[in-house]
Amino acid sequence: MTRSMEGGKDWRRRWATVVSLCLWSASGLSGRADAQDDAAANRAPASEVVYQVTGLFNAARERDLKEVFSRISEVRLVRVDVAQAEATLALDAAQAFPGAKPEQVIERIDQLVRGASRYTFGIKARRELPLDKLQRIEIAVVGLDCRACELAVYEMVYRLPGVEMATASFPERRLVVYVRPGESDRASIEKLLRERGVELLMPPGP
Amino acid sequence: MKVETSWPRVGRRSRNWFAALVCGWLAVSAGGRANAELEEAHVRPFLERHCAACHAGDEAAAGLDLQRLDWKLDDRESFQRWVKVFDRVSLGQMPPKDAPQPPVGESEAWTRALRGSLLVAERRRLGAGPRTGLRRLTRAEYENTIRDLFDMPGIALQGELPADGSAHGFDKNSEALDVSHVNLAKYLESADRILDMAIATRPVAPAVKTQRISLANPPGFVAHVLLHGDGVLLKNKKPDPEFPPAGEQMHLDQGAHERMGSFHNGASVGLFRHEDEAFHPYFNEFVTIYPGRYRIKTSLWSFQWDRGQVLPSRGVEAARLSIVQLTGDGRGGGHPSTVLAYFDAPSMNEQVHELTTWLNPRETIGFNAASLVSGHTRGKQRAMGYVGPGIACDWLDVEGPLHETWPPTSHRVLFGDLPLREFKPEEHPGVRPPHHVPARQQMFMGKNTPDREEGVWTVLSEQPLEDADRLLASFLPRLFRRPVGVEVRRQYAALVERGLESGECFETAMRRAYRAALCAPDFLYRVEAAGERAGEVDDDALAARLSYFLWNSGPDETLRIKAASGELRNGKALRGEAERLLRDPKSQRFVVDFLGQWLRLRQIAANDPDKKLYPEFSPYLQDSMAAETQAYFRELLERDLDARHLVRSDFAMLNERLAVHYGIPGVSGSQIRRVAVPAGSARGPFLTQAALLKITANGTTTSPVPRGAFVMARLLGQPPEPPPPNVPAVEPDVRGATTIREQLQKHRELAVCASCHSRIDPPGFALEAFDVIGGLRTRYRSIGVGDPAPRGAIDPMIAISFRLGPPVDSSGELPSGEKFGDVLELQRLLAADARPLLRNVAQQLTIYSTGRDVAFSDREMLEQVLSATERQGGGLRTLLLELIDSRLFRMH
Repeated sequence: MTRSMEGGKDWRRRWATVVSLCLWSASGLSGRADAQDDAAANRAPASEVVYQVTGLFNAARERDLKEVFSRISEVRLVRVDVAQAEATLALDAAQAFPGAKPEQVIERIDQLVRGASRYTFGIKARRELPLDKLQRIEIAVVGLDCRACELAVYEMVYRLPGVEMATASFPERRLVVYVRPGESDRASIEKLLRERGVELLMPPGP
Repeated sequence: MKVETSWPRVGRRSRNWFAALVCGWLAVSAGGRANAELEEAHVRPFLERHCAACHAGDEAAAGLDLQRLDWKLDDRESFQRWVKVFDRVSLGQMPPKDAPQPPVGESEAWTRALRGSLLVAERRRLGAGPRTGLRRLTRAEYENTIRDLFDMPGIALQGELPADGSAHGFDKNSEALDVSHVNLAKYLESADRILDMAIATRPVAPAVKTQRISLANPPGFVAHVLLHGDGVLLKNKKPDPEFPPAGEQMHLDQGAHERMGSFHNGASVGLFRHEDEAFHPYFNEFVTIYPGRYRIKTSLWSFQWDRGQVLPSRGVEAARLSIVQLTGDGRGGGHPSTVLAYFDAPSMNEQVHELTTWLNPRETIGFNAASLVSGHTRGKQRAMGYVGPGIACDWLDVEGPLHETWPPTSHRVLFGDLPLREFKPEEHPGVRPPHHVPARQQMFMGKNTPDREEGVWTVLSEQPLEDADRLLASFLPRLFRRPVGVEVRRQYAALVERGLESGECFETAMRRAYRAALCAPDFLYRVEAAGERAGEVDDDALAARLSYFLWNSGPDETLRIKAASGELRNGKALRGEAERLLRDPKSQRFVVDFLGQWLRLRQIAANDPDKKLYPEFSPYLQDSMAAETQAYFRELLERDLDARHLVRSDFAMLNERLAVHYGIPGVSGSQIRRVAVPAGSARGPFLTQAALLKITANGTTTSPVPRGAFVMARLLGQPPEPPPPNVPAVEPDVRGATTIREQLQKHRELAVCASCHSRIDPPGFALEAFDVIGGLRTRYRSIGVGDPAPRGAIDPMIAISFRLGPPVDSSGELPSGEKFGDVLELQRLLAADARPLLRNVAQQLTIYSTGRDVAFSDREMLEQVLSATERQGGGLRTLLLELIDSRLFRMH
């Protein structure tokens, strides 16, 4: 699935601001203590928000993610976009996280998801740059057909500075890393992988 | 101050009596000297005529110059030397066969005279006092006594106490059981541990929980090796598709696998290697919080792994479960303190094994794929390149703590039926509550958690002093193994009263008294009072002597009741009790403790065989060796087999591992059972058991000297003299330039060495047919030189690098002149006369059970026991019962 990225950055910021204000308002933390009961009585309908999902490194992980959300009562998973590593969540922040400030909501969701997934998934704000603005580095890797090994190699790279997203699939012998241009490069990623014991399938020499 | 001041109180009659005593003593003393001179005049000429040719001067044979041997029979050392002279002559060993012999009857007359002198001297020295000194409980006795008294059958105490000494071959002798300030400090610590564990601090028993644990549990070291291919995860007896076997690539990042649930997905764990220094599989997602009994179940099977395929295995494999006491924070593992059991793992068919055991806080369960080889499979292809056996563990369940009653027996021993109540400070003004440490999980890896505890619960008493007196009246006699007088009880009750007065609650005040009692000499020492029969111990001491003999622990209630009623004075009743104690599983403590010392089985792990020379050695083989010796002794007792079985047998007690080691076919599985020995096999008796052959070797080489000395001392009851000072030990020439036989031949050319070595070496020569781990050999193993070695029965998974060196010569000649060509012929010669073998067992049992050496004057009673035993067939069970029913056993 592709989306139009035209003006995407500004649009997303505006959208996020609106959603946050709605959530904040609905959470009943606008400074009026006595408003909490009113807010509970007139609870706003759940809002849908799109977040980036860490740990969603290939299509097989979609099922895992759905299973994780099946154990979380506070937030509902609406849809998953594996290609973007994003998920749309529906939640009523005031009900789900009473007392949380707007900027804390994403942290609370992240904690829930991490706890329910034994720290294999996480939630963070959407990327500021669309995929096509990122540098795509594809590295041929060899490894066991094992989901945990894929998680391992994914985790080796996705926290690196400049890395916005990554996918990993040992059956396809492919690790794809999306980096902000100029903030990382293939050589440093390959070096790190080798150091961590990952076998790289190098293209035949000239 | 005048001495006379005390005389008036003594009285005139007493003064006269004392004067008479002094005069009498002087007369006896003078007479004694005259007698001694007379006796010496009878003894010396025989020695001059028949012994002086060899045993005189600086070059005296065996270093024994009889001319310089003083006739000082009151001196213990001198006395012992004369006893040895007596023994050698009376047994016909001296003068030697090749020397001129005394005229017929002269030796007998001489030994008769010497025996009389020795008896008189010894009786004079021993006097009328008790023969067995005041004995401290050994570490094992202390621990077992506490375990039985409080029904806490696994509380670990002896490891914290200083090691006991040893005298006359056993640690039960008062000469070996000293007490230092370290002992006392440790007894105080132990008393606190005992009371902490015994006293219930909650109104209901801890909840019984069942926890299923995978062997792959991440803190248990196995997860790590699964990543690298020394094991695999299996589902439905196939490789787990979610965790493919490591091959050219291994699994990455254990943490990622833990979080993805790879090790908690219900898969079975297949291992390809046994435990070693670097690999300790534990089920430590369970770490004991509450001490108590736990039911352990596990499901095991075996398979043949062939590069990714799971196939039927080569046979039944064996796995071991053990209790492991975690140390520190548990990360570094712990000590495998107790082997719980070896279990069978049948081919492709899971078998569920179950046992119930006591577990202490911080203890977990260890696993060992025992019958597999050590090392690892990691080649380039890892598990996907490996072909070989594996053992699979589906799961392990721990259920507990299991309490039949609450409060537990341990608590009732201390507080009877007094109720446990919540301590509310407002209801007890001025009273301090008891100090209870809340139960908690002490190890971070333990997933089991304690129950929620609310409030402080303790024993409350409405009439504390009356209750204290009643509880002490019940407890002290059980602890002290005898009735306790009112005065003694009051001393302990006074401690309780003092505690209550100082504001302690009833439980704390009672602890004062119990702590003092647990450190009291009445408990720590075996006090054996004189009984009504002259020279015999009283009934309570007899009950304790019997109990510490066969259970290595204090008498139970049945035995104490029979002692109190005087029933034990009846020989039939005493034998009946002995039979009852032998039937009880606790008698295994006797088997283990007695053999541990008599046959030095405690030293089985004293050395590790050289891995290049003996690559087939494993802890499983070592444990099997010890189990064989214990099972064999048990079999001798239960079937009442005669003492010839010490050296010769038509059966052996084997499991598969030992049977393979011995080359005996048709034995499958880990359990020890009775197996008929094929014709031409020397296996079966103690003499040829691998355990004893390992104990008498140094891990690299064997020598006929220590092995021969062991046979002489431990099996034949004829301990050789220690080597003279400044004579270097004969060490095998590892270069192979000379054989040990050639070295010993040179050694025996020295007169000072010859007489002893002519007795020591022959059995040692015969046992040269066995290597350092008790394997039969016809050639010595060597490293570097020699011929290529055939694999024989060695596991095909084990790499062999040793070679075959010079041939073994196991022939020899006994001092009697009888020759043997091999160990089978030696067995036949040794078994020809059962009496010395039986006498030796009787001596060992006597020393062990009475806590004193067998004196020269005890010999007559010992011979009576032997004769009575032989009249009933000469069986060892009969011997044991005859000994218990003898004056020798009852003697004060």
